[in-house]
Amino acid sequence: MSKCYTDFVNIIYCLIIIISFSACRQEKIEVRQVSKEAPSPVSMPGAGSMPSGMIDAPPHAHGVSWTPPAGWKEAPGNGIRLATFTPPQDPGKSEATVVALPGDAGGELANVNRWRGQIGLTPIDAGLMAEARKSVRSNLGAVTVYDFTGEGTKKSRMVVGMIKVEETSWYFKLMGDEKAVGQNKAAFIKLLEGLKNDAS
Amino acid sequence: MRPNTPWQKLVDALTSMKLTLACLGLMMALTVICTLAQVPLGTHAAVDRTIRTFLVWWQPEGSSLNIPVFPGGGLIGALLFINLALGQFMKLEWSRRKIGLWIAHLGLAFLFLGEFSTAFFQVESHMPIEIGQTRDYTEDYRQMELAVVEKTDAQHDSATAIPESMLKGSSEISHPSLPFKLRVKHYYENAALSMRSPSDPPSEATAGVGADLVVHPEPPVSGEDQQNTIAALVSASALDGRDLGSLWLSNALGAPQGFIIEGRDFALSLRPRRYYLPFSLTLKEFHHDKYAGTDIPKNFSSLVHLSEPGRGEDRDALISMNNPLRYGGKAFYQASFGKNDTLSVFQVIQNPGWLIPYLSCILVSLGMLIHFGMKLAGALGGSK
Repeated sequence: MSKCYTDFVNIIYCLIIIISFSACRQEKIEVRQVSKEAPSPVSMPGAGSMPSGMIDAPPHAHGVSWTPPAGWKEAPGNGIRLATFTPPQDPGKSEATVVALPGDAGGELANVNRWRGQIGLTPIDAGLMAEARKSVRSNLGAVTVYDFTGEGTKKSRMVVGMIKVEETSWYFKLMGDEKAVGQNKAAFIKLLEGLKNDAS
Repeated sequence: MRPNTPWQKLVDALTSMKLTLACLGLMMALTVICTLAQVPLGTHAAVDRTIRTFLVWWQPEGSSLNIPVFPGGGLIGALLFINLALGQFMKLEWSRRKIGLWIAHLGLAFLFLGEFSTAFFQVESHMPIEIGQTRDYTEDYRQMELAVVEKTDAQHDSATAIPESMLKGSSEISHPSLPFKLRVKHYYENAALSMRSPSDPPSEATAGVGADLVVHPEPPVSGEDQQNTIAALVSASALDGRDLGSLWLSNALGAPQGFIIEGRDFALSLRPRRYYLPFSLTLKEFHHDKYAGTDIPKNFSSLVHLSEPGRGEDRDALISMNNPLRYGGKAFYQASFGKNDTLSVFQVIQNPGWLIPYLSCILVSLGMLIHFGMKLAGALGGSK
């Protein structure tokens, strides 16, 4: 067996060891308990040098303003979610959000079925949707309201108010544990009734 | 005399001049490959895929197969290091006259090892933090993770982080902590997101905001000031097989999306990979100093409060340019700022071998001092 061939084989053995070592690092799923957090600052690409550009918060949609009910904590929005409310009744068991989307945002039936899916309910047709539709009056006009309760041993519940202002569809959603949503529904309806034009 | 034992044959092969020349030639070729790769991939990705790796992998278009096509910088560097180190020990003279050279060469070897440590063990991340805010994690914007956060408990959240490498395959993802399984149907390294119009086909997402979106894959961007919009279509199913819907997740969609299953509230999001810390930093002040009478920046500094109750750490620290905070094996550098000087961004570096280059410089300097000092002493002694 020639010397060159022997050298080559010896080097290959070393390479296999090195490659095996390099292939050993596999990433795994990690689970940890973390503290509840407020929405984080807007993420930015890694900038390595000073001075760098300014980072602005995402622009808010305009047209509608609201008054949170007494005792409800409002947190600023993040992305397409414009605001998050934490009701005082059974804190942590329910949450209200405000989302604004341009146009019809897919249509009422599609949105209703998407919300029903979030609490494990099957889709419904336009007829059943019409039966489920309620309405409350606000300074901006009629706000369509839906109230759905999930199934199972631990039921979830969702109350959604939707209104279209100019070319923007606004969605106000209270969702969480059935009992907590029930306790906070009256205050949530008051929030919907208090919707008014945003003067800014 | 020809080597007889396997060990002698191995040593002979590893110390051969042919291997040295081969490694140097491969390094030159790799430098050219990395330079050319920077155009489509960007600097960081090109270095990661060619230099800071043992093998350069190629994935054919439309295939999930990864084929090694060239030795990477790690492999060539390791071989060259072994070749030169063994050659030094086996073939060079052991004598007191050469001790300076030995020390200097040891310093060079440490420089090599320091770069190896940086390439394979350094973790770089960032911490954006606003005044008054407390943070106990850093974020890596070059890597994503699918975060499944259970918000059921009123006091704490339970965060399950699925690494990006597991999202690129199409196999099922499950974990004992989750009452459902996930499958990534699509994963785009860059995508364009837009609202659906009535004429667009139905979205593949059946839940969340993705149902109103149109998602088109785009070529990844490579500019240093550009960021990819990563998008993943993730379907969830309960353990009994019940479909929980499909969601479009993206780093461009700020708000998490999720569902409630059996009373447990889950939020899913695609976010920069997080590294949680055993301590926290609170930003107390941020200063953007300028030279008097001008707009020319003079200094940027952040006053933070460091807290780690388990170790009794509870103190203020000032982070300014070129003066990082070193704590817990990490260095926090002042990197950027924003939001009208209310947001400070730290670059966080974790490198177990950060002291090696300093040690290398000391050894090389010492070795040269000793060697040239001995030469000088010899010359002066001989001239008398």
